[in-house]
Amino acid sequence: MAERTTLLILVTLIVVIYVFPYAFLVSTSLKPPADALAIPPTILPQRISLENYSNIATFPSVQQSFGNSLIIALLSSLITISLAVPAAYAVARFASLAGKIFLLAVLITRLIPPVSVGIPLFAIMRSLGLTDTHIGVALAHSTISVPLAIWLLASFMESIPRELEEAARVDGCSRFGALFRIIIPVAAGGIAVTSVFVFLASWNEFLFALLLSSTSVKTAPIAIAEFRTQYGIQWGTMTSLSVLFSFPVIIFSLLMQKRIVAGMTMGAVKG
Amino acid sequence: MQMTDRRFVAILLLPAGLFLSAFVAYPLFLLLRDSLFEVSIYAPTEGVFVGLDNYAKALTSKRVLESAGRTLNYTLIALIAEFVLGFGAALLFHALGDRSELLRTIFAFPLMIPPIVAGLLWRFMLIDNIGIVNHLLETLGIIADSSDISWLGDRDLVLFSVALPNIWLTTSFVALVLYTGLQNIPEELVEAAKIDGAGAWHMFLRVILPLLRPVIAVVLIIRGIDAARAFDMIWIQTEGGPRFASEILSIHIYRNMIRYGNVGEASAIATLFMFSMVIVSAAVFFTIWGRGTSQS
Repeated sequence: MAERTTLLILVTLIVVIYVFPYAFLVSTSLKPPADALAIPPTILPQRISLENYSNIATFPSVQQSFGNSLIIALLSSLITISLAVPAAYAVARFASLAGKIFLLAVLITRLIPPVSVGIPLFAIMRSLGLTDTHIGVALAHSTISVPLAIWLLASFMESIPRELEEAARVDGCSRFGALFRIIIPVAAGGIAVTSVFVFLASWNEFLFALLLSSTSVKTAPIAIAEFRTQYGIQWGTMTSLSVLFSFPVIIFSLLMQKRIVAGMTMGAVKG
Repeated sequence: MQMTDRRFVAILLLPAGLFLSAFVAYPLFLLLRDSLFEVSIYAPTEGVFVGLDNYAKALTSKRVLESAGRTLNYTLIALIAEFVLGFGAALLFHALGDRSELLRTIFAFPLMIPPIVAGLLWRFMLIDNIGIVNHLLETLGIIADSSDISWLGDRDLVLFSVALPNIWLTTSFVALVLYTGLQNIPEELVEAAKIDGAGAWHMFLRVILPLLRPVIAVVLIIRGIDAARAFDMIWIQTEGGPRFASEILSIHIYRNMIRYGNVGEASAIATLFMFSMVIVSAAVFFTIWGRGTSQS
């Protein structure tokens, strides 16, 4: 018993140290701005101040970038889910050669360094007139998400009993009818989880956004990254922006704890 | 009239297939094409065909070869640290059993922190004189003065420093996947080994490790690919500096393309990078996973 308690204390200590950097970020964001670079640095705020947060109001372009990120992430989720649902259904239900080749191709896309696709993608978007538009960045983000979504959705759909569709088909439902009226409603949970992943992938994405958005649709990661060069390093505001930017992500990830591992391994290891 | 299965599958795959052809396959075709041309970003239509010149240039350029070496080092640093720390944490959680649930939930926390935030946060914590890391090291008596270690300014150290946020973010991923793998090991096998008198170390090497092989393969490949492709966390910390000391391939390619406008050369390097990734991943996959399944 004593051994178990020692182990519990040890693991708790490790977990506390591990989470410390983020706690420090939140703590710094609550200090008065000048204290961010106090000598010596303190772990806890000497005085709680929300000034770092109210300072954000003086940077309208940064605020706007949060709106851009939201629009782009929603668009990307919409595009990805509408493309991935039928494809995943085909892969999950019909053991066809096309489906296998498709699945392999999808896997290979995960090996491609984004910078390799990003450069020509920039040229394509420019010829389509889509650089610096929400839809252009959303399409670029979907190139990352579509393979992930197909992989995830296929594993959700495989777990739906075939009898459901067969019964519907006997009752005179068409193939598309079975997909829309039976599979999609039953897989709604899986589709929701996948949408969250796709949303977050877009929300966090940096390189494509850097290549494709120059001014009007700059996303939050780019705005935060450029923040330092444009105004000198204002670490105080930087910490409050970082907290606000990571907040939705953390809420989502706490809600879907168990699915995260499955999503990140593309379902290869059941979480 | 009923449509055939084939036709139905084709219709279902068509939208995603078209999308991936247009925005992944076609860009890759353009990449290959551009790699054979001397072409500037400022006049993309006025390329001159140069054959394999760009590849020859890339493979003989000291800077390219150095960044390829750095990519490999960075990947190995991140991968080894994540794997050792993650495996350790997974074993501890496993030993704790059900009581680890709350701790695991907290441990998973950094998992979804945006990379850009992780990069900035570590940059902030690693500031030479006033960063919290050096301050804590000084307080603990490990270094004499908080300006002793210049994490992001020392060319010999910077590749390790820029790997820190990566390690921090993904150790929990490795830990959680391996923990799931450990939980899935059948109780009987462990019991049988115990009855045969296997010690803890023997148990780990002979029973647990072989059974975890497929899970380990997945973790190493996924993490290895992601580390090798890293861009944002390094960019936000150093932009590849000081004096290219943290310039890995993806940063070199980006800079070559955007800052210097050498589309042809950047495309050739990107093509080589991509093929190396595919070859290395396939090799790792078949070595670890292939061997595991043929034995069982």
